[in-house]
Amino acid sequence: MRSAVNGAARRILLGVIGRPHGVRGLVHVHSHTEEPADLTAYGDLSDAQGRRFLLRWRGAGVAEITLRVDGNEVKISDRDAAAKLTRTELFIDRDRLPPADEDEFYLADLVGLTAVDKTGAELGTVQTVHDYGAGASLEISRNGNSLVVPFTRAVVPEINLSAGRMVIDPPAEIITEGGAA
Amino acid sequence: MGRSVWKGPFVDGYMLGKAEAARESGRNEIIKIWSRRSTILPQFVGLVFGVYNGKKFLPVQVTENMVGHKFGEFSPTRTFTGHTADKKAKRN
Repeated sequence: MRSAVNGAARRILLGVIGRPHGVRGLVHVHSHTEEPADLTAYGDLSDAQGRRFLLRWRGAGVAEITLRVDGNEVKISDRDAAAKLTRTELFIDRDRLPPADEDEFYLADLVGLTAVDKTGAELGTVQTVHDYGAGASLEISRNGNSLVVPFTRAVVPEINLSAGRMVIDPPAEIITEGGAA
Repeated sequence: MGRSVWKGPFVDGYMLGKAEAARESGRNEIIKIWSRRSTILPQFVGLVFGVYNGKKFLPVQVTENMVGHKFGEFSPTRTFTGHTADKKAKRN
């Protein structure tokens, strides 16, 4: 998985500008937000070079782009200008995301945390957060080996985002008799 | 054609005993299973199963809404983890 956090500035990838749509400067936008329409809810977005963009939806997955340059707004109004923005990645500062509820965590905050056991021994780094409808689970990897644990209070009793670590109490495993039959 | 009602839901028999043992122990346990074809029964609610997807055992926390589905539905064999963006995970 491509890391969504870009460098020390803690910027999070929210979407990517796609191909132009029509001749009036509209573009397709690939949103990575949970609700695709929320991409425009965070206000200005910036690209890797620091240019600031304001997006307005003009159809399903199609947006109008306004570039903010030195306090001025420059609307992208023709296809050629829109085509130059294809594959531009749109970021947001992590600080601009609304605070999460109690016991709720942004995946971007969890990925990269160091996992330690109750004695303080390092288990690895959180590589991915899985959620396929049966509760979230964390994939912790170290030296090519991975450990997948459920994201529950019992298994993850302590999360310290500022220290970049979480405590894991790996559950005991019961192997079923049927095995791999 | 669906499965005949008189047969009841299919579940590999060995899982029933393990689920009962895990429930009685009350400890922090994960039951590793290969049986993706088994139906989730009401007595599995509240337990955590590690369902094999061909590579890993993905944790499946069973809730009431999952009763009647198969374990394999919650442990995809082809995964696209996607982008994190503003997505959140709740610690249960």
